Amino acid sequence: MFIERLLNQGNAPLLERTLEFTAARHKLIAENVVNVDTPGYQQKDMSLEKFQAMLRNRVEARRNAAPGAASFADIDGELENPERGILFHDGNNRSMEQLMSDQAKNALLHNMVVELLKKQYSAMENALRERVT
Amino acid sequence: MIDGANNNLSLGKLAGGGVTPAKTAGAGGAGASSFADVLKNQIDEVSRLQQDASKAVEDLATGQTENVTGVMTAMEKSDIAFKTLLAIRGKLMDAYDEIKNISV
Amino acid sequence: MFDVLDMGASGLQAQRTRMDTIAGNIVNANTTRNAQGQPIPYRRRFVLFAPGQAGSPDKPGVRVQEIKLDQSPFQKRHEPGHPDADADGYVKYPNIDLAMEYVNALEASRAYEANVTMMEVSKQMLSASLRLIA
Repeated sequence: MFIERLLNQGNAPLLERTLEFTAARHKLIAENVVNVDTPGYQQKDMSLEKFQAMLRNRVEARRNAAPGAASFADIDGELENPERGILFHDGNNRSMEQLMSDQAKNALLHNMVVELLKKQYSAMENALRERVT
Repeated sequence: MIDGANNNLSLGKLAGGGVTPAKTAGAGGAGASSFADVLKNQIDEVSRLQQDASKAVEDLATGQTENVTGVMTAMEKSDIAFKTLLAIRGKLMDAYDEIKNISV
Repeated sequence: MFDVLDMGASGLQAQRTRMDTIAGNIVNANTTRNAQGQPIPYRRRFVLFAPGQAGSPDKPGVRVQEIKLDQSPFQKRHEPGHPDADADGYVKYPNIDLAMEYVNALEASRAYEANVTMMEVSKQMLSASLRLIA
C-alpha cells in the first residue's frame, strides 16, 4: 500500500498515461500514412487537447481528495475521425503535411515525457541509495 | 519562477560557513546562527524547489504551459539541490561515524 | 508497439507494387502487340488499395487488393504503312499517358519516403522508451 503510494506520488501517473497516449496516437498516425492512397479510408486521430483536459480535471479532483484516492488509470485517449482536410474524389480526406507535423509533435512529446519520467525515477533511486551516483 | 540567484547565494553561504545568512536572523542578532538552523532552512529550500519542479511538470503534462525549457531547468535545479543535500547528509554521517570511533 | 513496424512494411510493399505497375506502363507505352504477337495493344494497369495487411486483413495496414486493367479506349494513330494498321490505316496504341504516369510515379515515391520516415520515428520512440530503464 505504501509502496504503491510511493510509486504514484507526484506526477509519475500523469506522465505514464501521457506515454500510453502518445504510443497509441503514433499507431493511428502510422495507419493514416500507410493508407494515404487507399480509396474511401477515413483518417483516424486522438485529440491531445481533450486528453490533457481530462488529465487536468483528474489533477483538480486529486487535490481535493484524500492522498492516494484519485487514480489516473482509467484516463485514455478517444478515437475520432477528424473532419479537417479536403475530401478527395476517392473518398479519402488525407493531408500528408498534417500527418507529418502531427507525427513530429507526437514523437517529441513522447521523448520529452520519457526524459521527465527517467528524471523522477532517478531522483527516487538516489534517495533510496543514500549516496549520490 | 524560481529565484535561482537567491538560491545559489544561500547554498554558497552554507558552504562558506560563518556569515549570517539573511534568512536566518538569530534570536538576539548575536553573530552566526547555528548550523542546525541553516541546515533546516536549506532543507526547506530543497523542498520548495521540488514542489516548483513538480508543479511545472504537471502544467506541462496537462497542456497549461508551452515553456519546455523552463520545466527542464526547474527539474534540473531541484535535482542538483537534492543531490547537494544528499552529499551533505553523507558527509555528516561519515563525520559522525568518525567521531563515534574515537577511542578515549 | 512493434506492429507499427508491420504496418509500415505493408505500406512500403504496397507502394513498391504501385511503382512496379507504373514502370510496366511506362515501358510498354508504345507496345502495339501482345505476348502472342497479335495486334492487341498493351492495356494500362493500375493498382487498387484496400485497408488491412495482406494475409491478415483485420490488422491495420494497407494491401494491394487487385491490379486492374484500365478499360478506357485505346489511342488511334493514322499510320498506313505500319504492319499492325487496320483497313483504314489506323494503328491502335496503348491507353497510356506518359505525363500522368510520371506524376503517379512521383507521388508513389513520396508516399514511400513518408512510410520510411514513419518507421524511423517508430524506432526512435521505441529506443527512447527503452532508455527509461537504462
